[in-house]
Amino acid sequence: MVDIGLFTQIVINGLLLGGIYVTIGVGFSLAFGVLEVVDFAVGEYVMVGAFMGAVLAPLFGAEGVFVIPIVLVVFFAVGALIQPLIHHVTTGDRPHPLLMGLVFTFGLATFLRGGVLTIFGPNSQDVPSSLLTGGIAVPGLGTFPVVRTVTAVFGVSGLVVFMYYLYRTRGGMAIRAIAEDRTNARLMGININRYQSIAYGAYAALTGSAGVFIGMTFNASPGMGLQYTAFAFFMVVLAGMGYLPGVIIAGVVLGLTQSFTAVYISGNAVLLVLFAIIYVVLLVSPAGILGKGEWAT
Amino acid sequence: MTDRDTILKTTDLTKRFGALTANDEISLAVERGEIRGIIGPNGSGKTTFFNTVTGFYEPDGGTVHFDGEEVTGWEPHRLARRGLGRTFQIVSPFKNMTVRQNMLAVQTDDGRSREEKRDRVGEILEFLEIDHIADNEARGMSGGQQKLLELGRVLMLDPDVVMLDEPAAGVNPALESRIMDHIHELNDDGTTFVVIEHDMHVMKTLADTVSVFDSGRHIAQGDFEEVSQDEAVREAYLGGTTAEDDEVPV
Repeated sequence: MVDIGLFTQIVINGLLLGGIYVTIGVGFSLAFGVLEVVDFAVGEYVMVGAFMGAVLAPLFGAEGVFVIPIVLVVFFAVGALIQPLIHHVTTGDRPHPLLMGLVFTFGLATFLRGGVLTIFGPNSQDVPSSLLTGGIAVPGLGTFPVVRTVTAVFGVSGLVVFMYYLYRTRGGMAIRAIAEDRTNARLMGININRYQSIAYGAYAALTGSAGVFIGMTFNASPGMGLQYTAFAFFMVVLAGMGYLPGVIIAGVVLGLTQSFTAVYISGNAVLLVLFAIIYVVLLVSPAGILGKGEWAT
Repeated sequence: MTDRDTILKTTDLTKRFGALTANDEISLAVERGEIRGIIGPNGSGKTTFFNTVTGFYEPDGGTVHFDGEEVTGWEPHRLARRGLGRTFQIVSPFKNMTVRQNMLAVQTDDGRSREEKRDRVGEILEFLEIDHIADNEARGMSGGQQKLLELGRVLMLDPDVVMLDEPAAGVNPALESRIMDHIHELNDDGTTFVVIEHDMHVMKTLADTVSVFDSGRHIAQGDFEEVSQDEAVREAYLGGTTAEDDEVPV
């Protein structure tokens, strides 16, 4: 017999988690489209963001949420500086550009994880969130944990701003054009270096900030990155490679799958279940659950 | 022809890929307002020439001048904004965008407002007779419509020179005729064209002057009748055999 109250609570938790995952997934998908690079460093950006929250917030005597503007600026700047390096290794006369990009970002991920381990050691750290404790009980539905709700609100807000930029501005249209065909975009007068830097910077900024919220929801741990890299892969494959709207659905599916698996099977089985879903999707619909992706076909 | 009449000029333009010299010291001058055809056997370096002139390849030697300014090694987007437009052999619209969005994605330095840009899109789509599908996704267009959209995107740059790589390839005769009419109309309005085309009937009716490439070299230039009688051209196309037909293969 299914406990309806528990079921509803799991759905709430899953949807709230999905809110922040979508932010990571959209950025990751866009970086893949614009730079044609599978960014293995995505999970480590989440991890470094979480550690920035854990370190900077106590330094200023503030809550983790208040260091978000700093994290946004720092990650945007670092992302915009890293992008030309990625562009350099994936273009020109080098053979196997996709592999070069993969190796480069894998190295970057290893460097970030190793750096944090060296500086902070292997133990996890808390990101201060004392103002965001407790939950809001909604009669007939369940309890909305404050920290997860704020996290989801940030995720959805970030996503709305990002999507507005992509679909309603000149720069966003240029980024979408580059994501579809960067050779033709150059013929259309679009300065791809500039927009690639903006896109990668925005992706890094959103991902790092998501890391602060994830750190507040769970904690900051040097080993957490790999899981979020796997999550990002899950979302873009489920959405259909390069199909941004699909990432929103995929993020929600991810949050729900994580919540249900953790309760009904085991927290340790989450990745197992996610990869089982990916295998089935790739076998049945390589272009994603909506069939609109392009690059997995 | 004086330099003042020349809008696009290459001097000893050279591009190598390892041991292969794809463009070997190509010097070519295109007069403002002309339609210049470029022909040559497969592998003669025509598309490499386009890629080097438009900034997709870094030249190994030589210079490119456009509208009186040296533009050697300029990035493609900068040349596009300067007024040098081009298309590729294989059309590739932004498939997740509508036809109108494909056109609006073009960036220029002309200071047009959003409304002016939208008006210009409307004018060009009407001119190309694809305004009825303006709000359709590009992924659903026929090959011919995609060719017209590609031309439309280039026209959004208000180019002085348009370089077309095989505009008639893979299109039906009716559409081919439409594309040629558009080129002539635009040319009458002052746009200069440089066109690579394998279809000699098209080249014969389209080009004012024809340049012939072979093995990376610019071996001949003149009107279509002149180059078709040229010994070097016949050698390039027919491999030195004596042809009963006195023209290049048409």
